[in-house]
Amino acid sequence: MEADELLVLVAGGDQRAFEELYGLVSGPVFGLVRRVVRDPAQSEEVAQEVLLELWRSAARFDPGRGSALSWVLTLAHRRAVDRVRSARAAGEREQREARRAHHPAFDQVTEEVEAGLEREWVRRCLEGLTALQRQSVTLAYYEGYTYREVAERLSLPLGTVKTRMRDGLTRLRECLGGLA
Amino acid sequence: MSLSDRLFRRGDLHSLAAPYALDALEPAERVRFEKHLRNCARCADEVRTLSEDAVRLAWSTAAPAPAALRDRVLAAVRTTPQEPAARPEHRQEYRQDPGRARAPQLPAHVWGTQPPPSRSHAPRSRPLFVPFATATAAAALVVASLFAVQANKTQDTLNAERAQASEIAHVLAAPDARATTGQDTQGGTIGVIASASEGRAVVTLSGYGDPPSDRVRQLWLMRPDAQPRSLGLFADDTPLVTSGLDKSATSLAVTVEPEGGSKQPTTQPVVQLALKSVGFGG
Repeated sequence: MEADELLVLVAGGDQRAFEELYGLVSGPVFGLVRRVVRDPAQSEEVAQEVLLELWRSAARFDPGRGSALSWVLTLAHRRAVDRVRSARAAGEREQREARRAHHPAFDQVTEEVEAGLEREWVRRCLEGLTALQRQSVTLAYYEGYTYREVAERLSLPLGTVKTRMRDGLTRLRECLGGLA
Repeated sequence: MSLSDRLFRRGDLHSLAAPYALDALEPAERVRFEKHLRNCARCADEVRTLSEDAVRLAWSTAAPAPAALRDRVLAAVRTTPQEPAARPEHRQEYRQDPGRARAPQLPAHVWGTQPPPSRSHAPRSRPLFVPFATATAAAALVVASLFAVQANKTQDTLNAERAQASEIAHVLAAPDARATTGQDTQGGTIGVIASASEGRAVVTLSGYGDPPSDRVRQLWLMRPDAQPRSLGLFADDTPLVTSGLDKSATSLAVTVEPEGGSKQPTTQPVVQLALKSVGFGG
C-alpha cells in the first residue's frame, strides 16, 4: 500500500497501518533528520518525535496538498531544523561536533545503504546550480540556517539570498524533472 | 532594526516563499508568513510548488533507522492518543486588502499626541514597579503568565513563543524594566513590560478573542507631535516584542485594522495604555 492510503488508515487509529507506514517512511525521516541534526543520539530523539507525531496528527494530512511522503518529510525537516537551531543557540553544537570526530564510521553508514540513483541525481543537479544558489539552498536545507544567517555567512544582501533560494529550487525542479 | 520592524514589513512577505519552503524563516516570522498564506492563494500555490522542490533535497538523505527506534515508536503508539480530525480549514479566496490604500483621518482627540482624557472606561493603569534584578520570582511569574495558555497551540506557535521568550528575557533583564497593565470596559487587558533605557517592550493582549476575519490587531506607539507609529501586528495571542521605543512615547494603543495592517490607524483604539508608569514620557 502507498503511504497516502496508509496515512488515512492511521488517522482512523489503525496500528497495523502505522507499522506498515513506519516501514516506508522511517528511513527517509531518520536520514533527513540525521543529515540536519548530525548528532546521532539527538537525531534518534527527533526522528522518534516526528514518527510519533505522524501517529498523533495523521488526520491533519490533506491529500489535496501533496503526497504523503512530502508531508512527512516536510514535518521531519521542520522538527530537525528547530532542534538544530535550539542546540546551536545553546552553544551545544560545537561540543557535539567535537565529539562527533570520534565517530568516524558515522557518515559511511549513510553512503552504504543509500539507493544510488536518487542520491546521485540530486547531487548532480545541485552541482548544476550556481555556487550562490547551491550554498543558499544547502545552508538552509541541510544545515538549518535561517536566510538571515545564510546572508551573513555569504556576505550577501537579504534580497539576494531570497532570490538565490528561489532560483536554486526552481532549477533543481527542472533538473530533477521526471524523477519522482 | 527591531524584531517587529523586521517581521511586519508586508512588502517583503511574498519574497519569503522560498525561505519558507526551506524552513529558513525565524519562528515568529514563520507564524506571520503562515497567517499571510491563509489569505493569499497565489502565495499558497507558490509555496506548495517550492516546498515540493525542497523535499527533493531530502531524497538523497535516506538512511535506515536503528531497530531500537522502531521498537520505541511502535510501543509508544500503543499508548498515545490521536488528535481528532481537524475541522476543515476556512479556505479563503485571495482578496485585495480593502482599506489599505486609504487611511482616513480620524478626529484629533482620538489620535492626538496626548493620552486620552481619563474617563470612567479608560484603561486603568496598575503599575507593578518590579525591579527585576531583585525580584526574579516576580519576573518568573510574569513570564509564566505570558505563556500560560498553551493548550490548543501548534508546535510552530510554541516554537515561535520560545524564540520570543529570549527577546522577552532581554527586556526583563534591563535594570529599569517595569510592568503595567490596563483594562478596557469589555474585560480585555493589555499588559506591557518595558525598559525605557533600552527602548524595548513586550506587549500582551488577553481577553480579546480572535479579531473579526480579515482583520488584525495593530499596536501603535503614541508620541508628542508625531503621527502614531506602528509597532506591529498581534498574531493570535502571541506577545508582541518591540524595540526602538522613544523615551518621549506617551502611550500605546491597539486598533483593529484590515489584514496586513495599516500605515496609520483607520479605526478607534480598542484599548490604550499610558507609558508614564513604566518610565516613558519624560
